[in-house]
Amino acid sequence: MGDELRGLADLDRIIHEPARLLIVTILSTVESADFLFLQREAGLTKGNLSAHLGKLEEAGYVEIKKTFKGKLPLTVCKLTKAGSKALTLYRQQMARFIDSTG
Amino acid sequence: MGNETAQVEQRIRRYWYVDGFGELVGGGGMCLILALYFSAEQYYAENTLIGGILQAGLVLVLIGGMILARRLIAVLKIRVTYPRTGFVEYRMDRRNRIFMSVLSFAAAGILAAGIVFVVRRFDFIDAMVAMTGLVMGAILILKQAWSTKVARFYFLSAFSLILGSALSVSGFARGYNLALFYGLMGIAFGISGGLTLARYLRENPMSTVAGNGG
Repeated sequence: MGDELRGLADLDRIIHEPARLLIVTILSTVESADFLFLQREAGLTKGNLSAHLGKLEEAGYVEIKKTFKGKLPLTVCKLTKAGSKALTLYRQQMARFIDSTG
Repeated sequence: MGNETAQVEQRIRRYWYVDGFGELVGGGGMCLILALYFSAEQYYAENTLIGGILQAGLVLVLIGGMILARRLIAVLKIRVTYPRTGFVEYRMDRRNRIFMSVLSFAAAGILAAGIVFVVRRFDFIDAMVAMTGLVMGAILILKQAWSTKVARFYFLSAFSLILGSALSVSGFARGYNLALFYGLMGIAFGISGGLTLARYLRENPMSTVAGNGG
């Protein structure tokens, strides 16, 4: 049990936060999504989503681009390779912990 | 955790159908084009110039219609859907696509073989329209209803099966039979898509505040 608990302490805290985990999970299922879609899907306020995306971008897990679709301005977010790897690792660590304690 | 991811994936797949444009333009539009095509093909005799051109041009009508429908859906989504509920670019999952295509073709093949069997035993049905109804119904179930769990696709699929079976014993000329099938399916897609779009617009009015900041 001790080792598993120590494993929990090694969890990536950037991803472990529930709102950020949801954002990263949504982005892991699509090629890219814009700010409005993420806001609605995650049920977050604009300011909250901006703050979480900022942290994910800082960690190199998410790439944010301002672009246009036709004449419509979009803030498009995409999970980077590092973000994808971090999510996979996080899932493995959680699965190991749940297996060992369940 | 995997289950939650699957739920998120399914919700995001369903998002493509949230505004009804797929049915309205892709389904309804394509079916009405095919209805016009088959009635024109039946109207003009095979040995006339227009009849000959029409017979040779089905593939072009299909490809042209699909390209046009895709472009129109993209334009409508940019103008109506993305400003209201956001933009998503879907990932091309090649393995899943290949699996679903193989499954669809296998189902269509089994259905076609079944139709041939029925036709040989009972010569009073128009196999072509029955097969069209069955294949369209099967594709709707396999590719749309099953993968997205959008309930209205089950109804459209059932309608396609019933319509194809009913028209197969109607005794109309084959061209008119197919035109009637696609015409009525086009109307069904149109009603389904129209109602979905009306509900979507009612539930998601355009925000006066720019919602896409980051």
